[in-house]
Amino acid sequence: MVASDRSAIILRARGSLELRCLLDGTDGSHVQKAVSRAFERVRARVTSQALVFRVRDSPMFIWPNKGCQVTEGIAETTACKDLQQRLRSGEPDGGKRSSKKKDKRNGDTSVINIDLLMELTEPGREAGPTLTRREVRHHLAQMALPVDCVVTAGMDDGIGDAFSRLVGALCSQLTDMESAVLRHISGTSLLVPQPFHFHLPEPTGLVTLVYPTGVPDAQLESFRKEMHVRFALPEDRPYLRRANAYHFPGEPFKDGYLRNPHLALSHPALEDAKPFLVQGVYSYHHYMQDRMDDSGWGCAYRSLQTICSWFQQQGYTERVVPSHKEIQQALVDVGDKPSSFVGSRQWIGSIEVQAVLDQLLGITSRILFVSQGSELVNQGRELASHFQREGTPIMIGGGVLAHTILGVLWSETTGDIRFLILDPHYTGGEDLQLVTDKVA
Amino acid sequence: MGRGYIVEALVEQYLVNLQTVHASCISGILIGQCSSQRDYVVLAAQTPQKDCGAVRGCSLGDLDADWVTEHGRQVSRMLPGGLSVLGVFLITSPDLSKEAQNTLRKLVYAMEKLISMGRLWNLTEEDVSERVGLHICSKTKKAVCRTFDVRDPKSSARPADWKYQSGVSDSWPVLKCSVDLDLYFPLSETSSENLENSVKIGLQKWAKQMESSVCLINGKHSDSDAELLTGLRKNAKGHHPNFRVQIMLPMQRSSAAAEACGGSLTLAGVLQCRAYLHSHKLKARQAAEAIKRDIMNTLSSRTEMFFEDLLINEGDGGKGIQPLPQRVFAPLPGTSLSLCDYMFPDEGAAEVGERFKEMLDFDIPEEQIDMTQEVITGKFLWHHIFLYYYYDTLLYFSRYLMLGHDVVEVLHLDFGRWPVVSGTLPSLNLPRTTNELACTHPFLSRAVIALHFTLLVTTRF
Repeated sequence: MVASDRSAIILRARGSLELRCLLDGTDGSHVQKAVSRAFERVRARVTSQALVFRVRDSPMFIWPNKGCQVTEGIAETTACKDLQQRLRSGEPDGGKRSSKKKDKRNGDTSVINIDLLMELTEPGREAGPTLTRREVRHHLAQMALPVDCVVTAGMDDGIGDAFSRLVGALCSQLTDMESAVLRHISGTSLLVPQPFHFHLPEPTGLVTLVYPTGVPDAQLESFRKEMHVRFALPEDRPYLRRANAYHFPGEPFKDGYLRNPHLALSHPALEDAKPFLVQGVYSYHHYMQDRMDDSGWGCAYRSLQTICSWFQQQGYTERVVPSHKEIQQALVDVGDKPSSFVGSRQWIGSIEVQAVLDQLLGITSRILFVSQGSELVNQGRELASHFQREGTPIMIGGGVLAHTILGVLWSETTGDIRFLILDPHYTGGEDLQLVTDKVA
Repeated sequence: MGRGYIVEALVEQYLVNLQTVHASCISGILIGQCSSQRDYVVLAAQTPQKDCGAVRGCSLGDLDADWVTEHGRQVSRMLPGGLSVLGVFLITSPDLSKEAQNTLRKLVYAMEKLISMGRLWNLTEEDVSERVGLHICSKTKKAVCRTFDVRDPKSSARPADWKYQSGVSDSWPVLKCSVDLDLYFPLSETSSENLENSVKIGLQKWAKQMESSVCLINGKHSDSDAELLTGLRKNAKGHHPNFRVQIMLPMQRSSAAAEACGGSLTLAGVLQCRAYLHSHKLKARQAAEAIKRDIMNTLSSRTEMFFEDLLINEGDGGKGIQPLPQRVFAPLPGTSLSLCDYMFPDEGAAEVGERFKEMLDFDIPEEQIDMTQEVITGKFLWHHIFLYYYYDTLLYFSRYLMLGHDVVEVLHLDFGRWPVVSGTLPSLNLPRTTNELACTHPFLSRAVIALHFTLLVTTRF
């Protein structure tokens, strides 16, 4: 998981810029020229004096191209950390959105979110209103470019400087978008370019790449290979697939599931022990989710869903988390269960989980047998080294219960061990507070 | 408990004068601003005569309801933001008093319907929906005032209070801004597409964006219920400082589309907008609504007038760039308010003055008509063209629009630090490339080919 760098602030600007390409002809070079011209116009708008940055959740408006005029209270030389301070404390005006009780564990104040606006009341030209009519047949291709760029600024940097870098980032993102669109053009249809942010291992940090919507990850492999080389990334694990996109702290997840709720906990004190935890991101699956009443029989299914979510979010598969029915169908497909199994409320165990992972995701798993639950404490070394090497969640099933092990706190010297368990038997809602309070 | 109407004393004078001049039925409209508690009336204007010289009818039956409401619609175009047609008045003899009430009801509802048809915005829940019908008896001079709820045609009239006061609009704050326009409407391939219709549909989309736009007044976002004046202090003269209005659009989230078009329409230029507010204690939100509505009104009025003009003159819409009518302002005598009108390129102050007299029944001297608020682009002379002299041999032009204009000649070219061409420029019919411009004028042949020229229009031809 990403550790937020205490000495830097991320400024993130998002907006939707209209791109309008007037294609007078449909042959390749015409289209290319028209697209380039249209992007040129968009870049001109972004560098014009009419561009306005609006800081979310605050009454601050900034004109970065006008010598950084601001609405109130802050100036070009204000340090970024002061800006952050004002956002944290909330403005004493309406007070409707004063969120003083920011969850520290979220740490969402290290990102300053900015929306892009265009001012209409600063014309920059003197022209009476006119109506122009063109009667030339042409093709119109238009779309809204979903710009989303970030710059990292030091705490003590002036905001004027940070904002002008943000404008620069906008321009270069538009150039990236232009190349993405031109690369994937077919006839007169254009694909919408979409930016993704990736948090690469230090010292690279946050990087933004543009992928065209509608083109699956598989087809972009050559582009990703180039990028892996450019950023000196190892080739054996995914870093730049869409699923690997950095999730900014404080942003809600579209699917509503909690991510890594274990991070909200601190581990118990154990002499001379080290924590060995799951690496990466998983989403928490448990009883009663998705309006599926599997209370009493679905615990292994939920554990399996959690594991599948790990593979999806680390980018090893594009397959979404399977539902109970899909899991059952997979078992029928491999011949492990009769067709009447689908739709039933029958338990599954570790062997079935292994079969499904292989069938649906192509993942080979290892099963570790212990004759008694109490013997698990002797597997400390195994578990610890698994978390270090593979870092995937572990499903533990036996008898009539199943759980997911997310980590161990193990002492090499004493052999003492504590298990971090994700309990699929939880029946409440996706509330981090509730989920972590229930910890025994 | 009915509504209260606070009426400018000058209106009382006007109505009294009307009664003494004519002995027959007189109809007219009332103009002012609504507010939640009471309405303010600042102007009354009688319905213009249909035919010059005809005697005004004595009976209510002679009253042409369509004519009265059409007058209301045309006047509503001449009102800046914040002001609207509040209702109708009738002056009749005593025996017609009862019938007058029925006529008033019909007129009020018909007027409201006609005016709201052309608007790009709708009345919201918060808007006042009561309109006034005023009846004055020519004999007893008594004024009976009733209101009608235009949202409920079946409701009965409610009595209202009619009170005169002087200086009603004296310290009304005003919001002004210039709005840059750049709208593009594709026309479908089928050539039977109605031009006016396409513009209407496009404007409706634009109006939705406008309504949801962000409006800052003096740097503060106006979505709050805070009062307009929070934080401002009167200056030495006791006047409130001007309000700075900034309007911005969040970027559009239009869906991706690709279509074959038979043509396109572009509306571009700068609109001058204005709105009057009846009180500094108005909420910022209401102030923003007033100016936004003026922006929408001014564009829809102009395009309507452009197409009406086209219809009358049987034009085909022309090709290329056509100017839309220009907005001019004239002060309302006795008040601090200004009303507006739209001037076509071939018109002048005289025509505007005539319209004010006919529509609003007041005289305004030509020199008081303010035509400088908006820039003219049209079939005019360019008095000065500033050529930027650059590196001795390069002439750098800054771009502007050239419209179809008459043949003109350059009279004088002065290569000083600010070369000035006074007089007129040869007709060029929209040079497609700057090359054309350079070739037709030998002295300009040294011009650089990345052209823009800035034209400052100062006088009309």
